[in-house]
Amino acid sequence: MSPDLMIALLTGAALFGIGIYGALSQTNLVMIMMGVELMLAGALVNLVAFWRFLHPDSYAGQMFVLIVMTVMALEMAVGFGVAIARFRAKGSVEMEEAQALKG
Amino acid sequence: MTLLSLQTLFIAFFGVAGVAFGVAVFRTASMMRSALALLFSQTALGAMFLAMQAEFLGVLQIMMMATEMSIMAIFMVMFMMDPGGLGEMEMTHQKRLSIFAGIAGALATAGIALFTEWGAVSATAPDAALQVRELGTELLGRSMLIFETAGVTILTAMIAATAVAMPALARKKPA
Repeated sequence: MSPDLMIALLTGAALFGIGIYGALSQTNLVMIMMGVELMLAGALVNLVAFWRFLHPDSYAGQMFVLIVMTVMALEMAVGFGVAIARFRAKGSVEMEEAQALKG
Repeated sequence: MTLLSLQTLFIAFFGVAGVAFGVAVFRTASMMRSALALLFSQTALGAMFLAMQAEFLGVLQIMMMATEMSIMAIFMVMFMMDPGGLGEMEMTHQKRLSIFAGIAGALATAGIALFTEWGAVSATAPDAALQVRELGTELLGRSMLIFETAGVTILTAMIAATAVAMPALARKKPA
């Protein structure tokens, strides 16, 4: 396999793992969102690598990258909306204090 | 014979930088530093895209993430009890489970990357101008429905985020 593709995929895997750690370990809503951003960044790296090294003539791969970038922006927008509502109601965005939302 | 090309070196360099700054996000007590580390991580990935000859996506990534992370840094200062990290507050929970899940997720995805037969690898990529033209054709042709759906989803998310963030309206009590 091409070393370039391997490096890109391993970078994506590492970012995905760091993102999982961040999303699960952090108690602050904004920090949890940072973890999710890193997971999505891992997916982005993989998508660009697949486009570049496996299917450079098919632009559906680049299209998929744009969709993932949109999802990243939307996650931020809705996440900050929830953060503002939570801060207004409780004065904090610490998820330890949001046990009532636990299923 | 050089085994590693300049492109490989740049991809590896920016990949390592992206991962290193990604780790730094969760290793600093200062929330501002976390936001900046995430910004640098995403910028390194944008540079990695440029090294992979995806010029449009690389520039888009850098521009989008610079804006997004700046907004995130502002929210950090607004909402955090200790944005500077001077109080050394403990901001984590279930650490062991998180580390295990993170390592398991990374190993699983790395395993898929290593043990899958990906087929022939293309040595060349279309030039930047052709990429932009073809992506535009893709957006307004075969993938138009998906593109339009993304637009409607953005509008929905904007309305939802505003509705959630607005204070509840005071109801008029019946006389």
